[in-house]
Amino acid sequence: MISSILVIGLNHATAPVEIREKITFPGNEEGRVARSMLDVEGVEEAVILSTCNRAEIIGLVEDPEATAERLIATTGSIHGLAPELFRTHLYVKEGPEAVRHVFRVASSLDSMVLGEPQILGQVKEAYRRASRAGTTGPILNRLMHRSFFTAKRVRSETGIGLSAVSVAYVAVELAEKILGNLKDKSVLLVGAGEMAEMAARHLVSQVEKPLLVVNRTYQTACGLACQFKGSAMPMEQIEEGLISADVVITSTGSCEPVITYRHMKEVMRKRRYRPVFLIDIAIPRDVEITVNDLDGVYLYNIDDLQAVVEENVGERRQEALRGEAIVAQEVSKFMEWTRTLSAIPTIVAVRRKLETVRASELARLNGKLSRLTPEDRETVEMITRAIINKIAHDPISFLKKVGKRSRSKVYLDITQRLFNLDGTEVDLDAHEGESTDT
Amino acid sequence: MDLVFFKIALILYLGASVGYLIFLLVASSSQATVGFWSTVAGFVAHSLSLLHRAIFSGFVPLGTTFDALSFLSWSIIGLFLVVRCRVPSPVFGAVAAPLASALMLVGSTLSYQINEPLVPVLRSWWLPIHVALAVVGNAVFALMAIGGLMYIFQERLIKTKRINRLHRLLPSLEVLDLINRRGLLLGFFLLTLGIISGALWAGSAWGFYWSWDPKETWSLITWFVYAVMVHQRVALGWRGRRAALMAIFGFCLVMFTFVGVNALLGGHHAFRVTIGGGRT
Repeated sequence: MISSILVIGLNHATAPVEIREKITFPGNEEGRVARSMLDVEGVEEAVILSTCNRAEIIGLVEDPEATAERLIATTGSIHGLAPELFRTHLYVKEGPEAVRHVFRVASSLDSMVLGEPQILGQVKEAYRRASRAGTTGPILNRLMHRSFFTAKRVRSETGIGLSAVSVAYVAVELAEKILGNLKDKSVLLVGAGEMAEMAARHLVSQVEKPLLVVNRTYQTACGLACQFKGSAMPMEQIEEGLISADVVITSTGSCEPVITYRHMKEVMRKRRYRPVFLIDIAIPRDVEITVNDLDGVYLYNIDDLQAVVEENVGERRQEALRGEAIVAQEVSKFMEWTRTLSAIPTIVAVRRKLETVRASELARLNGKLSRLTPEDRETVEMITRAIINKIAHDPISFLKKVGKRSRSKVYLDITQRLFNLDGTEVDLDAHEGESTDT
Repeated sequence: MDLVFFKIALILYLGASVGYLIFLLVASSSQATVGFWSTVAGFVAHSLSLLHRAIFSGFVPLGTTFDALSFLSWSIIGLFLVVRCRVPSPVFGAVAAPLASALMLVGSTLSYQINEPLVPVLRSWWLPIHVALAVVGNAVFALMAIGGLMYIFQERLIKTKRINRLHRLLPSLEVLDLINRRGLLLGFFLLTLGIISGALWAGSAWGFYWSWDPKETWSLITWFVYAVMVHQRVALGWRGRRAALMAIFGFCLVMFTFVGVNALLGGHHAFRVTIGGGRT
């Protein structure tokens, strides 16, 4: 039978959330689900990967097509679902395609947010559970370790994880670019609406100084300030806030600009030109655009931030292309390894076969050889051993060479038939090379 | 032998510059690593060159303009390596390595002969003290100007809302401004001591402290410019873009005083160079 790496799964791209939330392989904390997969006929090794965006079975299986069917049925019964319900959302990959898929997932090239860093940890956790439960063998061990290695390479050799891809993160990144370490900086919210709260949440978590809130209705300002353990001020004192804060987020419903050029110019003088980062998320604008021309004032509105996000997403896509090239390299290295792996057992089996023949022939002639002195006996041993080594030398060096070629399976097959190696343990491993060639 | 090391160092710095340039173009951090280690190797070779020259000539190797330029680029790279420990931005190296290479290239067009014997009156411990103070001060100003360039560049990017990958490799504006402030105070301190030590040396050698030769005049002009900068920063709270622009302007003046005056205006210091014992 042929052994092959198989991946069955669904993710954010193939399945809607209603399906994804149903298939989660519950109870796999101790690798129990992975364990139960080994009971499925044809499955030799298994890892279960389940995150909020994907659910996958990674396995080493015999007869991939039939085994895939059995695994789908098992998955259905684990979740109490009819396979028809989710079958159309599944992808089934085999051989190099499956290897490529595992490497891409670990490297976050298959993630909803390209390059997000959590997935590698989740893949590692899935592998840890499986190996604790003893459901991985030499092939999947190697596969998973290579996937970690590939992910590391993609992360360090490309810029896939570098740029911020949400407005909140972009705002923090820019604030850090302008102001350096944010710990000792302070944030002022002008306007206390829901938008302000959303925009401020991530920023405020980076800052140690208490948040300042000014709002037209003082009550609302107090409410929001309490929520962030900050302090509130009435709108009349906005200038004090502007003088002390380093990051200002404006989101009032005012039709007129709340912060004008002249106003800000005065504020900058009083700040002794300490730089300030203004984020205007209000529509219509709360801050006059010309304020950006003042020395030390950096004004971004929501569209500007959104444009940076777009730019960064595009950059991640570019970097992902370089990541794909790294994955391709690693896949071919891995496939190479599986091929040499299959040649070696064949060579071992050939040697063993010849040695068995030699030993049994000597044993058969034991009676006739009994007249020999121990020294002569030793010489016979040596001669016969030398003969089989000489005979085996050429075919074995041929197999070693051929083991690295893609057509190796043909020669391995012929060798096995020539020496009648069938029925030995070699068979399985030798055919593994065959499956991975496809 | 010292020249061999000098050339090795120069080649390594140039190699580092190329590495850093590729890094700036493709933003690949592996190239920056190549650039950095090439710079470190160049610095080691450069140090050996200076050391060998000192042993060979039996005195501190600061007697010619070539030596002064070599020492200046060595100081710039040395300062860069120190700053890099605190501000790990490869972009610094991307400016420092080409700058050092350029100074060394200028230096290698000049005579590197150690004229023997050194004019006895110049064979004084004032020579290394005066030259080292002046040169290290200039190196600090160089680093400041590099920081200033990075500041102006990054500030424009942020203001015009062009946020790209290069952006991420630059230190924050705050850090660059901090470099400007520290550099200004340290550089100004060294420049002041450099000028004073020069005057004292002149006093002990010739009996007059100040003779208004072009180098001295321009040094004084430079000193005044930096004094104004210190005042604006400390008293008026100038910072950011203005401080960065002034750092760049100041360094241009420094370079003119350092190299240009000798070449264009001649005079007292330059005269020494032609007979081989100059004080830069």
